[in-house]
Amino acid sequence: MATNNDNKKAIYSIFWIWLVITIVGVLISIKAPAWLMPTSASSTMHLVIETIVVFSVAAAPVAALVYAVALYALVKWRWRGEGVPPDGPNLRNNSTLTAVWIVSSTMLTIFLLIWGLAALAVDEGGGNGKNPMTVDVTGQQWAWSFTYPGTHVASNELYLPVNDKITFNVTSKDVVHGFWIVQMGVKVNANPGVSTSVSVTPDKIGTYDIRCTEICGLYHAYMVTRVHVLSDAAFSKWLSSQPSRA
Amino acid sequence: MTTTLEHTPTKGAARGGGIMRRLNFLTGIIGGVLVAALFYVIARETLDQGSRTFVDTLTTLTGVGWVIGFWLGIGAFTGVGRWFIGKDQNHDDEMYLAGKDLGRARYWKYTTDHKVVGVQYVIVTMVLLAAGGILAMALRTELITPGAHFVNPQIYNAFISVHGMVMIVALIVAVAGPWANFVVPIMVGARDMAFPRLNALSLWTLVAAIPLLLGSLCIGGLSMGWVTQAPISEQAGPGMDLFALAIITFAVSTTVAGVNTICTVLTMRTKGMTLERLPIFVWSSIIAAGLGLYAFPFFLVVMALNIVDRTTGTSFFIASGGGTGWLQENLFWLMGHPEVYVILLPAVGALLEITTVFSRKPLFSYRTAVGGMAALAGLSVLVWAHHMFQTGWAPTLGGPFMLTTELISIPTGIVFLVILGTLWRGNIWMKLPMYWVFGFVFDFLIGGVTGIYLSDIPVDNQMHGTMFVVAHFHYVFVGSVLFGAIAALCFWFPKMTGRFLDEKLGKISFWLTFVGVQVTFLSMFVSGLRGMPRRYASYAIIFEHTNFISTIGAYIIMAGMLVLLAAIIQSWRSGEPSGPNPWSSKTLEWLVPTPVPLENFEVLPVITSDPYTYGEELVNS
Repeated sequence: MATNNDNKKAIYSIFWIWLVITIVGVLISIKAPAWLMPTSASSTMHLVIETIVVFSVAAAPVAALVYAVALYALVKWRWRGEGVPPDGPNLRNNSTLTAVWIVSSTMLTIFLLIWGLAALAVDEGGGNGKNPMTVDVTGQQWAWSFTYPGTHVASNELYLPVNDKITFNVTSKDVVHGFWIVQMGVKVNANPGVSTSVSVTPDKIGTYDIRCTEICGLYHAYMVTRVHVLSDAAFSKWLSSQPSRA
Repeated sequence: MTTTLEHTPTKGAARGGGIMRRLNFLTGIIGGVLVAALFYVIARETLDQGSRTFVDTLTTLTGVGWVIGFWLGIGAFTGVGRWFIGKDQNHDDEMYLAGKDLGRARYWKYTTDHKVVGVQYVIVTMVLLAAGGILAMALRTELITPGAHFVNPQIYNAFISVHGMVMIVALIVAVAGPWANFVVPIMVGARDMAFPRLNALSLWTLVAAIPLLLGSLCIGGLSMGWVTQAPISEQAGPGMDLFALAIITFAVSTTVAGVNTICTVLTMRTKGMTLERLPIFVWSSIIAAGLGLYAFPFFLVVMALNIVDRTTGTSFFIASGGGTGWLQENLFWLMGHPEVYVILLPAVGALLEITTVFSRKPLFSYRTAVGGMAALAGLSVLVWAHHMFQTGWAPTLGGPFMLTTELISIPTGIVFLVILGTLWRGNIWMKLPMYWVFGFVFDFLIGGVTGIYLSDIPVDNQMHGTMFVVAHFHYVFVGSVLFGAIAALCFWFPKMTGRFLDEKLGKISFWLTFVGVQVTFLSMFVSGLRGMPRRYASYAIIFEHTNFISTIGAYIIMAGMLVLLAAIIQSWRSGEPSGPNPWSSKTLEWLVPTPVPLENFEVLPVITSDPYTYGEELVNS
């Protein structure tokens, strides 16, 4: 039958377009996230970048299929005559195709879900840092303050030792703020009246950014500060050099 | 009771209408201003002026006065009032109310004809898009350089709040407003909507909400974003009261419209129009309307609680008084996520309708398409907490909400399957509406895939509250829904006006908008990936280039929209006449004359198949 031939010809061409777009998509997926995103300074952030790469690679063939069919239709099946085109074939359904489409998109979804749940479970603890340490974080319009329990030390920029597991207990004095350490991939809201917590293990010495991510009024955009990740020795030295507030 | 054209007495029609003859948009405004002034004076004289809540109470009551006065002035209560005093409207009154022999004046009145309401919705949508668009241009202009130079942060915050809300309202009505009103009754073979007066009520209630929403900007003090985050919304200035009232008014409008659409389709279908023969756009309209009926009451409640907090000193959302912002966030997103699909579904329905007509092929897998839309609607009520992964509200629910969110990608995939299946081996007629269909396919895929990243909690922990999210939902709202709305406008414009929308200007507009969307929002993804939070009036120097590019892209979109506006105005006035069925479509709205007569059908049609019989002659011969 002629229709089968038409289908075959189309599928053959679409396959090659699909292959090209997929290859380009996969290459971009592997390279772009690391290139566009900030330096990673924690295992949590490694996981974020890795997840984006995996999801992009998984999405590339699907996106390529949609674009390949659309592109082929646009070029090959475009009506170039005058006036209203004649009717196309009366294809009302193809239950095999529909079933394949739904089953494969379901399987892809399940894969993404399992990946996500696994990543969530791995990261629940915020990495496998050694000496657990707690920092109390308080947001208020429009500044952050950090206190280090058991030390009576307070600061407006955050200082952390490298490779230790840090748990932040976050709260707010007024409205909701968003506590985000950009290069560490951790974020939790600072709510008035309650304490929320999040953990992370910084794994790279350096200076990174903290930005507020919930609109909090006039100077929301200026509610930024820095986090300094220091070696254990440098951190102890910094801590002991601070005036105690007790 | 239905009325038909034949037994309309010609001279009697001139006398129908009663007091409605004197009422129009202008008397509505006068009524609104007068009652608002009355409420203002009474409130000022009776309330304790030293009270902490005085200004908020005064503003709220004045706003309530405006809505009531506008309703009175435009005649929203006339029919009910006459029924109440036992002088129900007669046939001539009904005909007057439907706009018979009123010429252009009927567009400025409380007119019940669904086609007039459809045209009114087109105009209202354009006004809203223009207002939101001007704000967007101001925001992008501010963001062209890192510092806050163009507007100060206070104004910037007010602009983002109102830009967001105006655009959401605009997109909710952009397809459902004009076309569920103008087209759906004809598509199902009805002479009007089930409740013509409610139809007018929904339109004019929406109109009443617009001055409140834009007025909130003028009074000022908005600092909460369109999500009306508490407790900052409690701290906001009196503009917040009008903002909340605007939402409440709009929620009433949408509920009334949704009930009307559903009842029309369920009860007014012509003989033979079974549910399985409904055009897909009708399905998308009623599914979206039903979802809206579920979603918008949450919004109404959250705004009402906010007003009560602000005017009476209760503390639903204030932690120090025992309340919690988490309540606000839950209520808001219980509305907020279904609302995305209230916006999306009618656009998808319209695009599918267009795809079949211009591919000259039946809709691919009709039942899967309907099922997919229903699944989108069903799942969308179960995903709201994915907006709250970082709030700390319920860390243990992360997994379940990640599951429901990712499941949505399955019915979303079905939308692509149906479009591509319909295009497959069709004879694709690249008229103006099809340009926007292909634009939609391109953009919606990007919007959809980036949504999958955000459903993953570790990635969302990084991306939440950044420009990445903003770019993602703009790909959905601008790149997909607005494209769908414009496609629908290009497609049904000949039926509404009897003229084609200018192909040449339309295509220029398409290319500008399409390129503008990619430039603006691809660049915005990069801003987000590099770590730029949203709602920042001022930003670090590393975000300079991507923001500059986004702003240029935004100006290109604006140019595209201005060209479209020019095309609409020019074509409406002097476009090429189209005749009743320029696209050779098979849905009922194309089989009635253009302009569509009052009450649509002289004789109601009897339906024997669905409207997707393309290619059947080939099969049968």
